[in-house]
Amino acid sequence: MIRCDRLTRVYNGIPAVDDLCLEIPAGEVFGLLGPNGAGKSTTILMLVGLIQPTSGACFIDGVEVAAHPIEVKKKIGYMPEDVGFYADLTAEENLDYAARFYGLKENERRTRVGDLLALVGLDGVGTKVGGYSKGMRQRLGLARALVNDPAVVILDEPTANLDPRGVLDYRRIVRELAERGTTVLVSSHILPEVSKVCTSVGILARGKLIASGDREMLSRAALQDRVTIDVETMTPMPRLDSPEILSAEYSQDACSARIVAKNDISALIAETLYAEGILPRRLAVEKPDMEDILLSYYTEGTA
Amino acid sequence: MTATGLRIIAGKEFSDHLRSRRFHLLFAILAVVAAVGMITGAVQYSKDLSDYNAVQMIAEGDDDPTLAGNLAGMKPSVLSAYSQMGMLMAGIGVVLGIAMGFDLVTREKESKSLKSLLAYPVFRDEVINGKALGGVGAIALAMGVVLIVSVAIMALFGIVPNLDELVRILVFGVASFLLVFTFFALALLMSTVSKDSGSALLYSLIVMIVLSSFVPIFAYTPVYSAVFGDAPTPPGMSTYSYQQSSSAYMVTTTKVGVQASDTIDPEALAEYERASREYMNQKRTITDIVTLVSPTGNYQTILGAVSQPAGDSTPWLGNLLGALACNVIALLAMPAAFFALAWVRFMREDIR
Repeated sequence: MIRCDRLTRVYNGIPAVDDLCLEIPAGEVFGLLGPNGAGKSTTILMLVGLIQPTSGACFIDGVEVAAHPIEVKKKIGYMPEDVGFYADLTAEENLDYAARFYGLKENERRTRVGDLLALVGLDGVGTKVGGYSKGMRQRLGLARALVNDPAVVILDEPTANLDPRGVLDYRRIVRELAERGTTVLVSSHILPEVSKVCTSVGILARGKLIASGDREMLSRAALQDRVTIDVETMTPMPRLDSPEILSAEYSQDACSARIVAKNDISALIAETLYAEGILPRRLAVEKPDMEDILLSYYTEGTA
Repeated sequence: MTATGLRIIAGKEFSDHLRSRRFHLLFAILAVVAAVGMITGAVQYSKDLSDYNAVQMIAEGDDDPTLAGNLAGMKPSVLSAYSQMGMLMAGIGVVLGIAMGFDLVTREKESKSLKSLLAYPVFRDEVINGKALGGVGAIALAMGVVLIVSVAIMALFGIVPNLDELVRILVFGVASFLLVFTFFALALLMSTVSKDSGSALLYSLIVMIVLSSFVPIFAYTPVYSAVFGDAPTPPGMSTYSYQQSSSAYMVTTTKVGVQASDTIDPEALAEYERASREYMNQKRTITDIVTLVSPTGNYQTILGAVSQPAGDSTPWLGNLLGALACNVIALLAMPAAFFALAWVRFMREDIR
């Protein structure tokens, strides 16, 4: 549904997005992760037709964005990171204005706007948007992204200003969209959010896609060359020796250690301790969380 | 370009202008000033007409053909009332134009709605064209209302313009519209090049001051003399005087007076006359250029010519507009140039 083919955007000689190749199938909830300046927002701006690629191309539902921006814009719903509205209009008026661009008739607009405001919990709020909190604006931004019932929804940092209730609503809405077969692209640096709603992720660093796949695949990939094992014993343990061990840190009393190995050697450590007659108190293999995985990729990507 | 996006944006902009407190305030001031100007002008016109009629009766009673001939070009015109209104319009209309345009794009940037707007299925040119169209509509409405109010006030005073005068009133309205649109387009340009509304307003005011006040300074005699040199010094010790006037249909004249007791070399006098004529021609060229560069200068030139007293010496409107072609073209070209620059700048706007 979304495809980037050697997509490149250069600003003042510096590539913000560099030869990016990416494919997101229909119905996928894809998380685009990356540190600041990785090129996430630039990629999104090219996908929604706001900026032209320097080279390469991106496609939405098989239509090239740069060549047919209007056709593409009709298919997508976009919520920018810095979501903005007309402060002197109400939420209803703002959504109605947005809906006009998609050729909806007046009665359709009224129904659609009412449904969307109810969906994001802003129904019955009659004040002008100028008086809204950041969280309310974010909710309204999500509603606006859905005003044309798009086949592709692109959300840039969608939970940045939401309160816990707002975050729950956002997750519910994204899941509902996914159930209906809508493709969702979420750009975020809030990793738990991505891991909670996304079925697959891509990691950008310095404008390049350095990894992509489902969460488990990325996790395995990140674990490929190192495992951290925490060891605690009742009595001091000897220095462990194995070619698999990359590094080892021991406490002063030698009753605890943090071993980094190429593979999971917890069984070997248990055997060694047993042979030495040392009672283990704790032997744990650390599973990296999403943040560890991401940091490991960032380190690789920026190295 | 699709007509739908343009229509939606223009409609919103038009409605925004009409709902804006800023527009209400300036329009109210404009309407009041126009009404006061018209009332003053209408009262003056009634008085001038009554004086004219009285003098004409005397001329007819005396059967003096010379006096009657002189009066032919002095019959007051209802257009003279617009002269006063136009002077006021040149001040407030300019402010109205700037006030309507200076934040059209910067407001979208500041409220961060520009990115969303451009993500809708619209082309960029529809956005800038729609904004300009909405503004033009609001200006046209304001000018139309002011014109109707002015004609209504004249009717209240029992003054009914004839066809020629009605056409001249229309020309006045169009020129006023173009003046306001010029400064609206200038403010729109500044709005596209500036990051915030404050800067856009400041730049608009600076350019407005340069065009309306700074550039015309060069046409003033003391400044002209300081920049381009003094007028030629007359030969001898006599008292000399010269008259010079410049407008679209009046010929520049140079007259030199010589006292009978003077002994002046005729060649020196001829040389002086030649140098004076050259100086005057140069000054007139500079003055015309300065007027063309200044939108208010063009407006006032057109206004002055259109609202000349009626009578046998008044040129036909077609001839008049022909003579004012440069000013009319300049008044059309300047907003077009400002808008073209705004358009190009907006199309190249970097959205991040």
